[in-house]
Amino acid sequence: MKRIEVKLSLSIVAPLLDVIRLLADGLSEKLAAPQELGDVDEDLRDAWLEELITGQTADVKALLALFDEDFFSEGIVAFDEDNAEPIVRACAAVRLRLREVYLRGLADDTLEGGDVELEGLAEDVRKAFMCYLFLATVQDLIIQHLDSSIIES
Amino acid sequence: MIVSSAKSSPSTETLSRTELQLSGVWRVVVLNDPVNLMSYVMMVFKKIFGFNETLARRHMLEVHEQGRSVVWSGLREKAEAYVFTLQQWHLTAVLESDETH
Repeated sequence: MKRIEVKLSLSIVAPLLDVIRLLADGLSEKLAAPQELGDVDEDLRDAWLEELITGQTADVKALLALFDEDFFSEGIVAFDEDNAEPIVRACAAVRLRLREVYLRGLADDTLEGGDVELEGLAEDVRKAFMCYLFLATVQDLIIQHLDSSIIES
Repeated sequence: MIVSSAKSSPSTETLSRTELQLSGVWRVVVLNDPVNLMSYVMMVFKKIFGFNETLARRHMLEVHEQGRSVVWSGLREKAEAYVFTLQQWHLTAVLESDETH
């Protein structure tokens, strides 16, 4: 089984986990970002949403499981063919939620380009933006090393 | 096109309309968002639709530059399943009736 281990800086990542955990709680109740279900059969909508939220909750659980005791002692997280798919999806969910909750004040172009002056941001927004970048890095790593196992699974 | 006689009742006409909408061609449309990475969107397209690199990139760029891309069209049931799966991957996906058919 293909597996990659990544050593993270505890002093940088640990403070971001509070923000991720806080948002993760909310993701068990609502979608990361609203979806337009206008053309979906009305009878189907509740079950549709419920199933999306159930999947989202399971994905976020897999993401949070990365940051266990081993992470706090060694600073190492491991991605493999089993956890890559839920984690890459959970990163997308949390990033969307970060935008909804903290990063609405940033223009879409700024968010897409990632060209933000951190010093000019309020502390909660700065921390949220750091989380946003960190999760994008996790996604990039997984896509670079494990995308074939995700695509073929 | 909906064909109904002058004598048809409103309920018959509604039924015909619904039947046509259900049986017609439906489009799966992915809309742009400023959050998801281009590489992520391409990977999702490859996984869900079996697109090769070139096609996945073409649709991803269409979403990015034009705000939307029709990634699949066909029967409603399958289109709904694709929209659901895209939403599971947190892409903004909508189902649209293709009124040109």
